[in-house]
Amino acid sequence: MRSAFVESICLAYLLGAQNEDGGWGFHEGSASRAEPTAWALIALVEFASTPAHEEASSRAVQFLGAAQLSDGSWPSTPQMVEGSWVTSLACLALLGRKEFSQNVARGIGWLCMELPGEAKLFRRVVRSVMAKRTQSTQNDSYFGWSWTRGTASWVEPTSYAILLLRNAPPELLSGDAKRRLGIGETMLYDRMCPGGGWNCGNPMVYGVPGEPQMSSTAWALLALIEHPERPEIQESLAWLEGNTKSIQSPGSLSLAAIAMNAYGRRDPLLTDSLRAMYEAKEIFWNVPEVAWAALATGGAPNWLNPKSGGKS
Amino acid sequence: MPRPAPVMIPSFSRPNSRVAIRSSLSYQSDIASVLYETLREFDPPVRGKTVLLKPNFVGSDPLGMTNTHPVVVGAAREAFLRLGASLVLIGEGPAMDRDTQAVIESILLREYLGPLSKIFVDLNVDDVERVGLRTRASRLKELYFPKTILGADFLVSMPKMKTHHWAGVTLSLKNMFGVVPGSCYGWPKNILHWAGIDRAILDINAAVRPDFAIVDGIIGMEGNGPIQGASKSCGVLVLGDDPVAVDSSCARIMGLRPEKIDYLERASTLLGHIQPEKISQLGETIESVRTPFAVLKAFQYLRQGSE
Repeated sequence: MRSAFVESICLAYLLGAQNEDGGWGFHEGSASRAEPTAWALIALVEFASTPAHEEASSRAVQFLGAAQLSDGSWPSTPQMVEGSWVTSLACLALLGRKEFSQNVARGIGWLCMELPGEAKLFRRVVRSVMAKRTQSTQNDSYFGWSWTRGTASWVEPTSYAILLLRNAPPELLSGDAKRRLGIGETMLYDRMCPGGGWNCGNPMVYGVPGEPQMSSTAWALLALIEHPERPEIQESLAWLEGNTKSIQSPGSLSLAAIAMNAYGRRDPLLTDSLRAMYEAKEIFWNVPEVAWAALATGGAPNWLNPKSGGKS
Repeated sequence: MPRPAPVMIPSFSRPNSRVAIRSSLSYQSDIASVLYETLREFDPPVRGKTVLLKPNFVGSDPLGMTNTHPVVVGAAREAFLRLGASLVLIGEGPAMDRDTQAVIESILLREYLGPLSKIFVDLNVDDVERVGLRTRASRLKELYFPKTILGADFLVSMPKMKTHHWAGVTLSLKNMFGVVPGSCYGWPKNILHWAGIDRAILDINAAVRPDFAIVDGIIGMEGNGPIQGASKSCGVLVLGDDPVAVDSSCARIMGLRPEKIDYLERASTLLGHIQPEKISQLGETIESVRTPFAVLKAFQYLRQGSE
């Protein structure tokens, strides 16, 4: 389903901001990067209806394919030679494209091999020896995915990876995928803030509870969508719903709406507020956020379930 | 045009640094005049140049203790424009939340500075350029930095005066973590923690070399900073042409010994001065404004003999 907002604001901006090389930067006129390209592609595929959309998508797919590193990962910026969290998003954007299924399989393989710093043996030994000096309450035997190689697990990159592994067809999953997905989900529950919601991944520091954040909460809820009955999910949804009125930015508002839509709690006031922000207020235009705005307001979320509704 | 590569001058051969302390201030004071008059004393080379102010914006801050107060940022912007700068930008890359606009709206920046679209740069999603790290204090060999930072003629670090639960204090040097782009390293920029916070502070500052520092110590944060600490009223602005000297003076104001703060001690060998005899103090004396900040138990050693 497409609205005039999606068509005239979101898709128009995305089409206008695409670079010659087929990718997108974070802003119109900035250099192409894999992350904004992945989000723009996901939004375009969701709502593509004209030859211009199809042509833009096709060029974006080629850009993403060419940006993949030889080990199967994607870097956060093209000059880099190491993979990053962007791998999950690039694979998510390419899911359902048969000609790129091997690219996705290699990306998933890299993700499943990639261990965050705290999961490595040396680090675990050090932490176990120094446990009494630990300033946080997290359980390091639960780990997910890091932003960059060799660093710690955090909520958002773990959520991205879980979204991918849950939605990828079984034939593209490597042997360790199911185990990693399970540990990653457990890690997200372990990192939930007291009372519900998530921040970047510090629920408690020096005994002081961390404040949840809108975007991290939305991503974690999307990653854990297969457990709607769990009390942690209910608590976190309640936190999200209770705080939507205070949201003042299009990025957080879009993500909150996407998460609530996914749990069947669509709130038309959220999408009305979002449209009003883009139409009337001075905002920082940002490619991923415009893509999220389209996904928040545009109806059925095929991108969250590409096995059933994705396009090829 | 990008800033020329910084010249490394060992501290022992640097001229004395200058630090000014202005006291008895509140956010209702005429901070614009205070900053303008003080900056005039320094006569910074900004005429016709692009100045980039790098404040510390973290998020919602009803008690005014977490973020560089927007009134101070607005006053600094006005002062540099009066001193002849052709453009004064504000750039920040929040570490814990990728929704920079949410951070900006929560601190009401627009209400103090007016429309932001042409003067505010989200450093987290700016175009980037690779910079080799010549100091190699940490294990990092290179970092990508925003082109806006590398292209600015005059870079001003504008932190809040706060304690920090990993680094001891966060002032103008630690504030430069915010120029490392989240779009390359994530939210938080965890690679810097794994490389060693103290050493990464040195690498970043050696690479981008802030030219000036203005510390908002009108209300600071003590205890479990930089986010979960307690409000601490101190009433000062601290300015200077050597961020190391400014941070050292701030530490002394906070009742802490700068030579015990790992990254400041390291910075004193290459980037600036921490020895009092190498710092020309303008305005108030440190003793007259000293306001001891509470620190976590792990940092009590910073206080020894500082009183």
